[in-house]
Amino acid sequence: MNPIGPKFRMMIIIVCAAVLTTAGLLRADNAAAQENLTYRLKWLFNVSVIGDLYARDAGFFEAVGLRVDVKAGGPERDAIRELELGYADFGVASADQVIRARSKGAPVVVLAQLFQINPLQWIYRADEHTFEHIADFRGKTIGITYGGNDETIMRTILAKAGIQESDVHLFSVRYDFTPFFQRRADIWPVYRNAQGPILADKLNAAGEPVGFFNPADHGVRFVANSVVTSRRALDQQPLIAAKFVRALLKGWEAALDPANAQKALKMLQQYDKDTPFPLMERQLEITRRLIKPAPDVSVGRIDAAAWRQTEEIMLKQHLIPAPVAIADAIFPPGSDD
Amino acid sequence: MLPRRIYQFLLIYLIGLLLLFAVKYGFGLSDYVIPGPRDVINTLKTVCIRYFSDVVDTFSVAVIGQIISICLAAAVGIIGRRTTWFGSFVKVAAYNVQAYPIVAIAPIIFILFGDGFLSRLLIAAMICYFPILLSVIGIMSEPVEDVEHFYRATGRMRWQLEVKIRAFENLGKLTTVISGSATLAMAGTIVSEFIAANAGIGYSIRIALYQSDLSRILIALFLIGITLSIYQGLLELCGHLVKKGWSGH
Repeated sequence: MNPIGPKFRMMIIIVCAAVLTTAGLLRADNAAAQENLTYRLKWLFNVSVIGDLYARDAGFFEAVGLRVDVKAGGPERDAIRELELGYADFGVASADQVIRARSKGAPVVVLAQLFQINPLQWIYRADEHTFEHIADFRGKTIGITYGGNDETIMRTILAKAGIQESDVHLFSVRYDFTPFFQRRADIWPVYRNAQGPILADKLNAAGEPVGFFNPADHGVRFVANSVVTSRRALDQQPLIAAKFVRALLKGWEAALDPANAQKALKMLQQYDKDTPFPLMERQLEITRRLIKPAPDVSVGRIDAAAWRQTEEIMLKQHLIPAPVAIADAIFPPGSDD
Repeated sequence: MLPRRIYQFLLIYLIGLLLLFAVKYGFGLSDYVIPGPRDVINTLKTVCIRYFSDVVDTFSVAVIGQIISICLAAAVGIIGRRTTWFGSFVKVAAYNVQAYPIVAIAPIIFILFGDGFLSRLLIAAMICYFPILLSVIGIMSEPVEDVEHFYRATGRMRWQLEVKIRAFENLGKLTTVISGSATLAMAGTIVSEFIAANAGIGYSIRIALYQSDLSRILIALFLIGITLSIYQGLLELCGHLVKKGWSGH
């Protein structure tokens, strides 16, 4: 005999149906109120993405009705490809990626430029070498990642000073810093804000002061990370793009504000558990200088001249076969086109 | 055997390529995501010779690595086939080496041996030796009773004869494993080049990835595949000839 009567069974069915309907309605209501977006970063979670994470965690996206899934990047990730394939709505890409993609017909557009100064710089032992002038590179062993941005930048620097490849020794860089520690190279590429303080600490502990060579100080302004989306997304939903960029840049402004430093770093520590807090504090300080180098510079400003220079450099080095008219790909929020 | 290997590879590669093009044109993707046929052909013209020499470089390291791993696996397999304490110890040590992921060990190898030939060779040998070892141990631990019984009964059995009988009886299996391990040796060498070396096709693939150039990667895959197919075909042919020679007809 069935222990559950027909009336009781009917009641269970009605309750279940009510619960499911309510959940469905709530979900639909929520979806209507909040736009779900995916934002693919260029690299893993570290200080270079503090503003991106802060914009989400401090509720800047939510405040404008956006629910943003911020996804870590990595060497195998390419935000521009993901935009075109529809896996992401917004992303972070370096200028050379954008220019290469445009050169191959990818409909990618730039919405904001995060780094005003490229964090890709070179470290050297200040007590053994000086790199105040480009001519100082002559005869030196220079670390470069073949195929990487640093190769392009370094070749531009050398060409600027009329230094031939035979006048220097180029050393192939790989993931670890051992060759630099072993003095097999005189100068080594690093991300100034993330890796710079770590290496400086190690060398300082061994009594070796370090210096950093910044290509921008010598007129080479190769643009780094920028916020991108697809032309189609921008055309179809310009309001969402504008909302996203404004919220994101507000997040960055807030994360870089010294008054919020502790809060922002505590938030970052949840994602980057391996970096000690005091080191993060210094990383943030350097990041602030790279993203907002002067009080009057607004976060996300697109340096059109630097973009054009980046394109020229890539053209000169035959990294793209023809100009891509990069100015046509720049759409800061609020621009009419 | 050899022509079959080659046309089978060409067929697979062509199907793969057509599938990619179908996705590209089906979804209207740009050349940045998936390159078009013209882009692939232009890239082929530009990089073919350089990439071919890179593949030859990688291949030569892989072959030497494979030979070393075959010798090592044969030695360990022959020693490990016995149920003595030493045999078991050798087996445990050989198995443990494989337990560590190569990508984790690779940086240590590169620090110790530099980013030259030796590191690539060692990594290639380490990656491809384990499957060979498993097969060798399996084959060498399994007596061929029908044949071995006679020699044991007549007191003429020596370890060399035992190894020879078991190898001959399982020559087909050994040939398949050795031929298959060529792929692993090549993969091992490419992985090592990708991680840290500054030569070979793995290194070129790394540069192509930095530059988001899928055309170059497709060319590299073609050259790697065709080289491997020829090599595997030749190994199978050798196995066939050895078996024919041993059996006397």
